[in-house]
Amino acid sequence: MEMNNQPIIQVKNLCVDIKTDEGTLTPVRGVDFEIRPGETLGLVGESGCGKSLTSKAILAINQKKCVSSGEILFRDDKEDTVDILTLDPRGKQIRDIRGRQISMIFQEPMVAFSPMYTIGNQINECTRLHITKDKKESKRITLEMMKKVGIANAEKRYDQYPHEFSGGMLQRALIAMALVCKPRLLIADEPTTALDVTIQAQILELMKELQKELGMAILFITHDLGTVAKMCDRVAVMYLGKIVETGTAREIYKNPQHPYTRGLMGSVHKIGTLKADRLFSIEGTVPLALNLGPGCGFYDRCLDRIEGVCDKADPALTCLGGEHCVACHKCRKEGV
Amino acid sequence: MEASATKAEPRRNPFSSPMARFIYKRVLTFIPIMLIMSLLIFIIIQLPPGDYLTTYIAGLKAEGQVVEEAEIAMLKEQFGLDQPWYVQYFKWIWNIITDFNFGYSFDFGRPVWPVIAEVLPMTIAVSLITMLFGYLVGIPLGIYSAVRQYSLGDYVLTFIGFLGMAMPNFLFAILLMYGTYIWTGTAFIGLYTEEILLAVNSGAMQWYHVLVHPDFWARMTIPILVMGTDGLCGTLRSMRAQMLDELGCQYVLAARAKGVSEARIIYKYCLRAALNPTVSGLSGMLSKIFNGSTISAIVLNLQIMGPRLYDALKAQDMYLAGTILLVMGFLIVLGTLLSDIVLAWLDPRIRFEGRSAD
Ligand SMILES: Nc1ncnc2c1ncn2[C@@H]1O[C@H](COP(=O)(O)OP(=O)(O)OP(=O)(O)O)[C@@H](O)[C@H]1O
Ligand SMILES: [Mg+2]
Repeated sequence: MEMNNQPIIQVKNLCVDIKTDEGTLTPVRGVDFEIRPGETLGLVGESGCGKSLTSKAILAINQKKCVSSGEILFRDDKEDTVDILTLDPRGKQIRDIRGRQISMIFQEPMVAFSPMYTIGNQINECTRLHITKDKKESKRITLEMMKKVGIANAEKRYDQYPHEFSGGMLQRALIAMALVCKPRLLIADEPTTALDVTIQAQILELMKELQKELGMAILFITHDLGTVAKMCDRVAVMYLGKIVETGTAREIYKNPQHPYTRGLMGSVHKIGTLKADRLFSIEGTVPLALNLGPGCGFYDRCLDRIEGVCDKADPALTCLGGEHCVACHKCRKEGV
Repeated sequence: MEASATKAEPRRNPFSSPMARFIYKRVLTFIPIMLIMSLLIFIIIQLPPGDYLTTYIAGLKAEGQVVEEAEIAMLKEQFGLDQPWYVQYFKWIWNIITDFNFGYSFDFGRPVWPVIAEVLPMTIAVSLITMLFGYLVGIPLGIYSAVRQYSLGDYVLTFIGFLGMAMPNFLFAILLMYGTYIWTGTAFIGLYTEEILLAVNSGAMQWYHVLVHPDFWARMTIPILVMGTDGLCGTLRSMRAQMLDELGCQYVLAARAKGVSEARIIYKYCLRAALNPTVSGLSGMLSKIFNGSTISAIVLNLQIMGPRLYDALKAQDMYLAGTILLVMGFLIVLGTLLSDIVLAWLDPRIRFEGRSAD
């Protein structure tokens, strides 16, 4: 379907700084990636590595104390490219992008809806904001989307409150809210972590179907490698606020290069199934992104570290050929 | 009450809605609560040793007057003070229910109700004005403080908020009166200037004439500030805390991600949720409107209900004190009911609570 395979979004050297009492945290330290139309990019990494901050930076909805820098180039529906970071985060232009061109599914459906209003009201708000002010027409569109995501009895459900929904149903409603305006890019921030396994599978299936139908690109954030294998075309592995390896899903699985990625894969293969959902089996923990040294962020936990090299300079992301890039001194040496 | 039910659930039949059932249940509990409360009030008023007559006669004797036993007995019989307390209680309640007769004020020598009624309009006016002042200023300032957290304005408001809550009202009243006296040379004491007082006593002016008199408003300034600041600071603090809680919620982020504007997020989502404790606070409001504040009113020499209750309790004028307390209790129960209804309307989760029990 893509005559035009230019990326829909390009994130270049994205940094997010947070001012705290102890000093300035830099949880996101120069992230680069791009997503093409209709493609799914998986963003994988341990808890706290900066995935959510990155995704919220794309919509410019981080808190005020989180300062983003770099470039987020978004190609909008008029084929104009805007740098989202230059827009006023409360302004009209970004609000027109949010919900209509880029939308987001949140991690916990239970708290993503206000308990004060009906589900229909909250989904319909998006429709009325971006598609039509006509009450009947917008309700029709909303109901259609609710049916499409598999909410049975949509007319009745429309008038119910969040507390009358089950977790799985709420996640469907959240997906309906994100998709009702047929966005060009969907950010799914761990959309299934709060759900049980059978529901997870249903929701993932649903997202794939809708993607095929609407042709949108997806940024799929997760720490479940099994899900990545099912959902994603390409994968970006994130560690301590940086992308350490990217490539097609096949390459990353078959031929992981970065020691961190290998660790992740190892932790999956050791258990012998792709269903292992958490990645805690690498020794040590992610350090706090405060006063980091000049070297590689993974140095302390790395099994292949080269003393005198890896603790002196942070490796840049270098391509090994094709789509496969990695940020590691050792891999570069061996690769060349 | 059905009107609010229909408003909350426009699409449903009001009689079958959870809201209507909710209200119906709450109204049913009203009657036993009132009866128990009236009994408690009566018992408590009876608790201090002696009664109005003993105090009164002691007063007369102290002035050197001779009071004959026969006369005392006659008075006792006339006031029914010779009967056991439960007989007095049942007579009191019976007369209220059948006749809307709240008994006799010994101190004023008149039936209780007119004694209350004469200060009622001004009490309600003063209380309503101070309360409106508290809410109308406190709620927006609280919202501002939360939305601009850690700004200079927020720090100033936080400081004022704590100061206002910490300073006793009577002290604030005295400071203000002293200040205005030094400044203007006029003592702003009481609600009426002499001119207004004369006109009121001669019947030339009714209370509603007083309300539109500019001098009255000059006199009202200090009471509004003194009695309103308390409510204002409380509202400001609770509004700020509540709004901050709500603004930190995930659904705010979700709304923002949909493209909803900040202003709409605040008034559609956060404000509605944040009003919750403020609305719960309304339960005591009716009663406060009826009574007004007591100590500040005494300090400021305001002729409203609070000081009248205080005098009645002091003089053991039991039917007057009892009636004022009874009405206050009634208004608290009524206020709680109303605030519950408003809360249920604001928050669907409360509305549905009773459902499974049916
Ligand atoms: N508002 C904030 N104030 C201070 N630190 C923050 C804030 N938000 C995020 N951080 C820090 O930034 C880091 C990255 O946070 P982020 O939410 O992006 O993690 P994540 O990768 O999404 O993790 P998870 O998988 O647990 O969702 C964390 O270490 C966190 O401590
Ligand atoms: Mg996250």
